[in-house]
Amino acid sequence: MFLTDLLKPKTVAYAHCDLPCGVYDPEQARIEAESCYKIIEKYHASNDEHFKARAIVIKEERAELAKHHIDVLWSDYFKPEHVQKYPEITELCWKAAKQCSKVKGSLEIGEAKTLLDMIDKIADVWTKAGGPTATRLPKAAAARA
Amino acid sequence: MFRGVAVAGHSMEPALRDGDWVIVAPLWRPPRRGEIVLARDPRVPERLVLKRVARVEDGRYTLLGDRPDESTDSRTFGPVALSHVVGRAVFRYAPLARARLL
Repeated sequence: MFLTDLLKPKTVAYAHCDLPCGVYDPEQARIEAESCYKIIEKYHASNDEHFKARAIVIKEERAELAKHHIDVLWSDYFKPEHVQKYPEITELCWKAAKQCSKVKGSLEIGEAKTLLDMIDKIADVWTKAGGPTATRLPKAAAARA
Repeated sequence: MFRGVAVAGHSMEPALRDGDWVIVAPLWRPPRRGEIVLARDPRVPERLVLKRVARVEDGRYTLLGDRPDESTDSRTFGPVALSHVVGRAVFRYAPLARARLL
């Protein structure tokens, strides 16, 4: 064994930037979850096997995206002081991420509805924590109207 | 325990450069302003960061990189509790040409 191998650190510490853009909004997760909801509706309304197969694939992608957006909110947006003030957020995000996995593997419309409700609860905390003003850029007045 | 830590990133330049190896000593006293510490990222505790203590208030440590534009630090993850400060960077041992106390 070389001396350098002996001296080589076993730990790496980061002294860099993960470049957070600072824009976080549960709406991103909600749109993906709404897609899952509507896809499940369309799946059940269709008799076309080819369409149904595509619907399943796309729903699984969307459920995965919803989970990703929830993870980003949880790990990047919510700060320790938010958790202190709104301790329920830990369980809300955790359960919603798990619900995404359920929706991914299910064709029950109820599972998709449950996910939407969970994301709305996360959005409530995001709003109370000042998320809309802290993370989003204001829209032009004309675009808002 | 003392441990060797490899620096990844540029946020602590010129004090610490990407690829430097440093010795991190366990805390035998609370860190002071200006010292470089190894701390846990409160968002992801298994992720370790090397930053400088910019402010100490109510037992919480505001950690900042020396190069703000290349650093993710307390501006993003907030002040850090002492329990999340693992140790203090005391000595750079590699590269040898720049080996010195920190």
